[in-house]
Parts: sequence; C-alpha cells; structure tokens
Amino acid sequence: MIFMREWKWNMKALVIWCVVMSGLILLTLSIFPQFAQQQKEMTKLLEAYPESMKKVFGMNELNMGELLGFYAVEIYMMTTLLGSIYSAILASSILAKEENEKTIEFLLSKPVTRSRIVTEKLLAVFVNILIFNGVSTMASIVGFQFAKNPDVPVSTFSLLVVATMLLHLTFGAISFLLSASMRKTRNILSISLGIVLAAYFLHVMAGISEDLEFLKYFTPFKYVDAAPIINDKQLEPLYVVVMAVVILISVAMSYVVYKKKDIVV
Amino acid sequence: MNVVDIRQLTKMYKKNRGIEDITFSIEEGEIFGFIGPNGAGKSTTIRTLLNFIYPTSGSATIFGKDIVRDAKEIRQHVGYLPSEIHYYDDMKVIDLLTYSARFYKANEQRIKTLAERLDLDLHKKIEDLSFGNRKKVGIVQALLHEPKLLILDEPTNGLDPLMQNTFFELLFEERKKGATIFFSSHILSEVQKLCDRVAIIKEGKLVQVETVEHLTKKNLKYVTIVLEQGQQSDFHLDGVVKKEVNGNEITMLYKGDVKQLIHQLDSLPLKDVVISEPTLEDIFLHYYEK
Repeated sequence: MIFMREWKWNMKALVIWCVVMSGLILLTLSIFPQFAQQQKEMTKLLEAYPESMKKVFGMNELNMGELLGFYAVEIYMMTTLLGSIYSAILASSILAKEENEKTIEFLLSKPVTRSRIVTEKLLAVFVNILIFNGVSTMASIVGFQFAKNPDVPVSTFSLLVVATMLLHLTFGAISFLLSASMRKTRNILSISLGIVLAAYFLHVMAGISEDLEFLKYFTPFKYVDAAPIINDKQLEPLYVVVMAVVILISVAMSYVVYKKKDIVV
Repeated sequence: MNVVDIRQLTKMYKKNRGIEDITFSIEEGEIFGFIGPNGAGKSTTIRTLLNFIYPTSGSATIFGKDIVRDAKEIRQHVGYLPSEIHYYDDMKVIDLLTYSARFYKANEQRIKTLAERLDLDLHKKIEDLSFGNRKKVGIVQALLHEPKLLILDEPTNGLDPLMQNTFFELLFEERKKGATIFFSSHILSEVQKLCDRVAIIKEGKLVQVETVEHLTKKNLKYVTIVLEQGQQSDFHLDGVVKKEVNGNEITMLYKGDVKQLIHQLDSLPLKDVVISEPTLEDIFLHYYEK
C-alpha cells in the first residue's frame, strides 16, 4: 500500500527522467552512422585530444568506430552519471520527506511496523531504478538500429547494462541510508548529490593524473569503467563484491537506524 | 481492566524537557482528560504511547500490550488525532481517508457517514483545506475504523463551537459502543464538560489524577467588573483570593459558590461584568503549588 502510494508519487519524475534519457540516447546514437563513415577524419580529430582526456573517457582503449565502443564512450557516460543522479534524488527523499512534511505522524499511527515502511519504500526505489534502466536499455537497442550493422555482442552489452544498474543501486542504497538517518530533506539531497558528483570527479581525476591514480579505488564509477569490461569481457569480481557489500550494509543499516529512531515532527 | 497503564514513564531529550516518572492508568470506557499548559509534556506522553519516540525508562501498556514491542497490534485498535494535522497535500480528502481505511481493513462506507455528519467535502484537495476542515479530516481518520481507544491531542483546536458539539456527540456515541477516550487539552472547561477523570501535568511531571467532579468543586472564576464612575473600589467580597484594581476596572479571582458570587455582585454599583474561566496557571497556583 505504501509502495503503491510511492509509485504514484514518483511516477511523474520517473517518466520525465526516462523521456529525457531516452531522447539523449537516441539523439547521440543517431549520429553514429555519420561518425562511422567519416571515421578516418574523426579518429584523426580525436587523436588531437589531450592524452589524459582520452584516458578519462576510455577513448585510448576503445574503438569508437565500432558501435559498442561508441556506445561505451558517448552513451555509457550519460547513463552512469545521470542515472546515479536520478537514483540519489529518488532515494534520498523517500523516507525523509515524510518527516519533513510531518506526514509520518499519519503513517506511524497506522498498524504497520517501521520495518514494513522501510521495506515498501525500498522496493519503490528498486522498482523505479529497474524501470529507468530498462527504458534506457531499450532506447539504446532502438538507437543501435540506426547503424548500418546494428549487431553488438549481446553478452558484453548485457555486462555494461548490469554494471550501470549496480552503480545506480549503490548510490541509491547510500542515499536511502541517509534518508533513513537524517531529518531535513534538503540537506540529504545535497549530500547525496554531492557524493555522486564527488565520486565522478574522483574518477575523472584518477584518469587525468598518474599521481592521482590511487583515487580510483574510492569511486564506484571506476568499478564500472567501460573499457576493461569490453576488453576483458567481464566485470571485475572484486568490484562487484565491493558494490554488493555497500548496498547490503546500507540497506541493513537503514532498517536498524529507522527502527531505533525517535520520530518527532 | 485498564486500557492504558503507564508506569514511571520517562522520556528525556537532549535539550528540551521531556516527561519524568509519569504513572497513571485509564479504565475501559472512560473519557480521560489530560490537562496541562502548553509544553508541559502532553504530546510527548502521547507520542511515547504511540511509539513515535522511545521511552528513556519506565514502561506502559495499552490493552495489556507493551507499547514498544506490540506497537503494531496496538495501533490496529487505536484512533489518533494529532494536535497539528499534516497530510499529503497532493491527495484528495477521499483518497487520504481510503488510504487510511485500507491499513485497518476498515469499512470505507463509514467515511461518507462521518463526512456528512461533520459537513466535510470529500472531493477537495487537502492543500486547499482550511485549518478547521483539516481538523475534520483528522477526526474522520481517527474514528473511521471504530477504534477501541481514541487518543486525541488538543482535538477542539480550530473547530468552531457548532462543530465542537457535533464532535463531542460523535465521541459520546463511540463511548456508548465501548470505546475509551484519552483527551489532551489546555482548556479546562472542555475537559470539565466531557471527561470523567483528569490527569494534570506540569513541567513534565504528573501533578494529580482527579475526578472532574472534584476538580469542579474547586470552582475558580475570573471576575472582571467595571464600576460606575467615581465609586469606591475598596469593597469586600467573600471568597476573593486575588484582586487587582485598575482605575474603575477591577479583576478578581473568586473561589467558591457561583450563586454566592452573583448575590454579592448584585449589591455593587456595576456598569459591566465578565465572569470567565481561570487560566490553568491560576488553578495550579491556588491548588497544586507547594
């Protein structure tokens, strides 16, 4: 019931994000045929880019003349970053908004346990992220059809999709924990977005400078880097475990914290 | 059987005062008043009973069940009306009430009946409602699942007198069906009108639990009189415990029989007279201060 309420509540935002995301994906993929045609000149042009920049976007390891390579450089960057922002916004407000708007007094006076409230809201976050990923994956598949040869290796593409989803869930889980433990929605939103952007920034920094390469261990964006996934045809198990652990701990902590919390409005 | 049983309940906040060592119980079928000035700890007690906040020490049971451990089962049979109503602004009244009813698997037909009684438009959006109308939504929400215990935090706040009467009627009907009512207020007269017993709370501590009958015997009245121009103000009235003279306007606190008071006032050269309820502070000052 709480889930249904959240579903309706977040529907508008979900639709907007999906439409914008799909639009961007289709638009970007629609220039691929031209891009591939003029590949020689393009490659030359890209070679003129500074080395560090190529490294950040994985251009040195990926062939942008190939559809999947193009996808990894141009689209993957958008889906990972924008999707993480969406997940952070969604999860950071979902519990705290009830306290902020003081509607939690209504909810808590009903015969539901706090765990039930957390579970249903968590489910709402999960389903929304799932749909967002589903839609952007569909948009990509549709966009691939613009290419002369629309075939991409299914297994590698699936790995990229799974990686994106894992990344979103990681940021979603961290934001959810913040939502369970803090009270003011505005602060939580800025902190959650801050975490996503800081992680992205670290990822960029680690790519730019050799000295800063150690930073890569602190950012989930590095865990889902497209180049190694495409070249090795696998997700690094260690990174997957790290993300899974972060997600599980955040979720478990959310239950514990929310159960113990004094809720004063 | 005691419906509510509170034993040495204490809630300490880091900064603000909470409640300390509160002990009392409410019997089945009773209308029990909980009275004290604003900030005395009424809402803190209620929120602890509903497990919005956790007690620092002590314990309490409702229907014989522990308020922390069995919170969910307790809430199934409790109707709660908060002092300030905050609902989902984007919902219509009917949506909110249906949402509420589903939690209890309550009869949704009753929403209509109650809304009619209270003259509440079900198809308005919550954000467009006035303060009084929000309160009505709160009342329907608290009553619709026919709870065994009603916990009402300052329920008359924001209701016009006509609505108050309808509301009191509804409460009496619920009581006839066997409900117990726990009613917090800072207005003495409404507690006197409605309740069987009252608990008086001040600065986080329980001062006394009394029958209303007993409380009413302590009949304390505020009397303001205006005398004709140039009249002497140094008259004497029996039962006056405090007297303040301000030009030809005199304010007195009177303790005792009301008939006696009227009788005595009759002999004075009055231009105007106002007899009103004393403030709770005055009652505390004259009866409970040590």
